[in-house]
Amino acid sequence: MMLLSGFAGVLVLSSLGVLLSKDNFYSALFMTLTLVMAASVYTLFDIQSVFVLIVFVFVGAIGIVTVALAATYRAMPERQFSWVWCIPVAITAAVLCHFMFVGGAYYGIGSRVTFSLDEFIKTSEYQLLVVFLTSLVILLFLSVIRLYRGDES
Amino acid sequence: MLELNAMTVSMIYLSSFAILLAGFLTALSSKDLIRLLIALELMFGAVFMSLIPAFVVAANPAFGTSIITIFTSAGELLVLIAAIVIQDRRNKNVLIEQITIGGDRV
Repeated sequence: MMLLSGFAGVLVLSSLGVLLSKDNFYSALFMTLTLVMAASVYTLFDIQSVFVLIVFVFVGAIGIVTVALAATYRAMPERQFSWVWCIPVAITAAVLCHFMFVGGAYYGIGSRVTFSLDEFIKTSEYQLLVVFLTSLVILLFLSVIRLYRGDES
Repeated sequence: MLELNAMTVSMIYLSSFAILLAGFLTALSSKDLIRLLIALELMFGAVFMSLIPAFVVAANPAFGTSIITIFTSAGELLVLIAAIVIQDRRNKNVLIEQITIGGDRV
């Protein structure tokens, strides 16, 4: 519980660091720290496979490219935003929290996570899922190549 | 291993909402595409956090959902990175004001 509180505190502080930092490079570093902490929360619930996926794919690949891009474009103009936008977000959060606590039994509050990777890929639905996912990734990369070729021509 | 009780669930959701709010405000205040990219990644981080309680209800579907979320969001961000590179090659900057409003041309 103390670890979860610590992780949540670092999460919130580093996300605030992203918002308040004026330098893109430091924002990217804070963003990477936020994602690593979000992935670390999964290990507290014994879901290490998702931790590995988030850290390797999201932080290791995308996060590093973002940090490199942010280091390239460091000098940027100052930001502006209106705090009024906090109001709809806070209302949405309150409504969701209310329904979460009303339907607490449905969401399995009071139970433990029972997840084992051995049972994951046996059913045919999940094989279909992997095929769909691979197709989706190929489509995404084809669109990137098309964008790049269109730019060259 | 932690048990998912009301305290842990509220802590997870509150931190998730805090990250989402920070990402949302960062996206609203961004004047360049790099900060927009950072804001989007932050918002995906909030999505990852909010997926944790789903592992108690149905672990395997939640794992499938998290795999799809991770890979599709990574793919989307890669497309945005490619768009940033193209924007920089065309206009020599990455400011949002340079993007045509209302169309799909970058």
